[in-house]
Amino acid sequence: MQTKFISREQKRHDKKGERLSSQFYTVGKPAPRKDAIPKVTGQEKFTTDVVVPGMLYGRVLRSPYPHARVKRIDTSKAEAMGAVCITFEETPKIKYNERIVSIPSATFKDRTVLTGKPLHVGEPIAAVAAETEEKAEKALKLIEVEYEPLEAVFDPIVAMKPGKPNLHDHIIIEDKVVEIKNNIAAKLEIAEGDVEKGFQEADIVIEREAKLGRPYHAQLETKSAVCVPEPNGGVTIWTTTQTIHNCRILIGEIFGIPLNKVCVKKVALGGSFGSSIQMNTILPICVALALKAKKPVKLVSTREEDMYDHCRYSMIIKYKLGAKKDGRLVAGQMDVVVDIGAHNIQAYPLIGCMAGWLVDLYKIPHIKYSAKAVYTNKAPACAMQGFGNPQVNFIAQTMMNEIAEKLGLDPIEVELKNYVGLGDVFWGQGPTVRSVIRSCGVEELIKKGSEMIGWRNRGRPEEKKGDIVRGIGMARGFHTSGAGGPLPGEAVDFSGAMIKINEDGTVDVIASLQDMGGGALEAGLRIVAETLGVPLDCVELAPTDTCTSVYDVCLHATRGVYVGGGTLKKVAEQVRQKLLEYASRILGTYPQYLKIRPDEKRKQGIIYAEGISGKEITIREVAATARNKNWGTIAAVDSLRQAQCPPAYTVYFLEVEVNKRTGEVRPVRAVVGADCGTVIDPIYAVAQIHGSFYRGLSYALYEDTRYNRKTGELTNKGFLSGYNILKAPDMPNPDDVQVFFASTYEETGPFGAKGIGEAAINPVPAVVANAIYNAIGVWIRQTPITPERVLKALKEKGGE
Amino acid sequence: MEERKIRLKVNGKDCELSVKPNELLLNVLRNKLGLTGTKYGCGTGDCGACTVLINNEPRLSCLTLAVTVDGAEITTVEGLATNGKLHPIQEAFVKHGAIQCGFCIPGIVIMAKGLLDINPNPTVEEIKEALKGHLCRCTGYINIIKAIKAAALEMSKG
Ligand code: FES
Ligand code: FES
Repeated sequence: MQTKFISREQKRHDKKGERLSSQFYTVGKPAPRKDAIPKVTGQEKFTTDVVVPGMLYGRVLRSPYPHARVKRIDTSKAEAMGAVCITFEETPKIKYNERIVSIPSATFKDRTVLTGKPLHVGEPIAAVAAETEEKAEKALKLIEVEYEPLEAVFDPIVAMKPGKPNLHDHIIIEDKVVEIKNNIAAKLEIAEGDVEKGFQEADIVIEREAKLGRPYHAQLETKSAVCVPEPNGGVTIWTTTQTIHNCRILIGEIFGIPLNKVCVKKVALGGSFGSSIQMNTILPICVALALKAKKPVKLVSTREEDMYDHCRYSMIIKYKLGAKKDGRLVAGQMDVVVDIGAHNIQAYPLIGCMAGWLVDLYKIPHIKYSAKAVYTNKAPACAMQGFGNPQVNFIAQTMMNEIAEKLGLDPIEVELKNYVGLGDVFWGQGPTVRSVIRSCGVEELIKKGSEMIGWRNRGRPEEKKGDIVRGIGMARGFHTSGAGGPLPGEAVDFSGAMIKINEDGTVDVIASLQDMGGGALEAGLRIVAETLGVPLDCVELAPTDTCTSVYDVCLHATRGVYVGGGTLKKVAEQVRQKLLEYASRILGTYPQYLKIRPDEKRKQGIIYAEGISGKEITIREVAATARNKNWGTIAAVDSLRQAQCPPAYTVYFLEVEVNKRTGEVRPVRAVVGADCGTVIDPIYAVAQIHGSFYRGLSYALYEDTRYNRKTGELTNKGFLSGYNILKAPDMPNPDDVQVFFASTYEETGPFGAKGIGEAAINPVPAVVANAIYNAIGVWIRQTPITPERVLKALKEKGGE
Repeated sequence: MEERKIRLKVNGKDCELSVKPNELLLNVLRNKLGLTGTKYGCGTGDCGACTVLINNEPRLSCLTLAVTVDGAEITTVEGLATNGKLHPIQEAFVKHGAIQCGFCIPGIVIMAKGLLDINPNPTVEEIKEALKGHLCRCTGYINIIKAIKAAALEMSKG
């Protein structure tokens, strides 16, 4: 087998040979994040904390039926008590898709601000605003609505059958009306090679089905918005979002406001995990209320409302996989049915991405993939960390383990024989976004991780005696860094930023890229500091809004560091050029001989000519001179499209303890290896992995939103109390979670970095299932893996 | 509804407020006193984001009627730092990378203060147990536990 190791020395430096990574000033060094102080002292302002003088409080009237038509709505009593009311009858009728990350031809529009034909319990019908929350609540109760309940469907398989109610007769793509049949919102078929021939060549073929649940994002901050109508006919907005610019475009389009009058302010986001990749449903409602009231309005979702607003895509995946005796894969056929809920937020990109995640995992010469995304009368599903990747990974990685078991091979050996790595083509965002892999730490991660966990000594399930047994599993995953590529593709992916040097030598960074909490922008600041050669202390994120910043598409697809950071590096390099040029005028040297180093004590970047004493000047002096001599501001603004989408890799080794009497599964120890290229921020790169590990465990073992098929309500009615979620006591102890990084360098990324976040959740459900197998000898391919499901699987095995 | 006058000592400052009998302490702190560090995460006692100290004990302000704490001493996250110096618990959270989106952090920091006041040297298990009522969706609790441990150590040094 050809070796895929990349030599450390070869790759540890920038392709331009700038500097060795050991010589980085800021990159890779631990330092507290800038927003930690406001956050730990309660000073950070989130949307829910924004207060505007004279603002009204909004509340939303939501459908109690999963499918209905509103026959009559009367707001007169609510209005009589002084509340401002809006209903679906008066809000704009324009159909939109709240997520505009894809290009228009891949954006399916099926919803309006409010609706007279609700498609899920909790869908907004009308809204009110009043001086106090209490009054708004009262007004809401005074609205009279007469509904005609319609038949609802909750099962995607049933929803596709003829004679079932059609949720959407038609939708809009670009400006064309597109008919929807059998509730199929989107479908995709892809084939490479000859899958039938492939299966004939295989020595072993297995066919399995996996069912993956419908977790709720459970971000701590519920979806919120504040909108101020401005005298120029425009609006100023604060909202929970991963993209201020896309919110602005959508609000402009829906309400017919020129974009230069729509100012969306960037504000801290209390978690998101994909749930604000789209403009949240409450934002246009808040805007409509404010425009009607001619007053500022604040609208904060309750937790119950929030839980009816978004969740992860649940799905059924069938997979047939064929391999040779030596473990080499020859053919694979995957069929997917996705339950998208009531609206198509991004089902088409999802099933495209899933095809990508499938071919990105293993090299399979003959492959066939088909997927259908189906409407049901449930809360609309949307992106959630991993975007279809954990689901594909779950079935593929558990089946690879099963094949290895059946062939009597070590799963690690089978992984190494088949994985997609260096020099292979990677699909970063479905079939239209591809690039060649230039850095890959898989082998290094697997080797080191397996030693750390004690892979060889894990034993076989049949050797494990007693009611409480332990097992060790392994699973590998990856995720794209951004959605860029050499060709335009169906996803918009570029970022923009402005950087300027102030008159005292400090630096303002104006970047519209959002930070969900993971620290993408904190990493960005380090990249700026490193590029400019100034202490991190000198660099700050400026308050940013859509009017004063340039476009960034959205924080998603693990693109924060690679695309956002890459953009900041590009712009900072231009600023650096200008700085050096001005400094050379003052010092009387050529700019190309000047260097910059940070001076932490003086809190300044020092520009100097190497080896020539006396030729030294602080950035402050350069900036002040530029001002006094009227040279102008030392600043740059630019955009960057990354022409690659390099995968970040992770390898998980997990030990679980399974109680065969109760069916309980307890994760007890983990070793996580990650390849994110250069680690920009060592503390928060690890913290990202911790968080993804946690959410992955919770996804695998606990979380699902379930529906009462009679009422269409969530069985927990939207209360967190009734929602199973992993709590602190069930996490492994801090010392039992070890994280390490590969020594890779991604030559196309800023200082060699790529992404990490989503790569760290994707293999977690699979590693849990694989560890359970190693403990008790059964495969469980349904999430959440509840104690009942474990017991059932054990019982079935016993009955064999 | 009739408003009633109550007195509270919030972060060391005396204040007199008039509140409705059904008004939650959470809303009084956030809306009347502008102390928005204390967060709403669920309103049903499930997330811990609204935790404050009432007479030095961690309590959920989303389940507490303001009138029932008349005369009490309340500490919110805004009251932990003294003279601009972070409390050792806050220091430890910053240093150990325990803060991501930060929305859960005020509640957790306050809980940790309450915990360390009565148990200055908690075990990892005790910290995990104390975190049971706190939802943090970002961190996996790992660095939070490390930070609380480190703070305990730091505080024991006096
Ligand atoms: S808001 Fe009080 S526990 Fe969630
Ligand atoms: S840091 Fe985001 S919820 Fe805890």
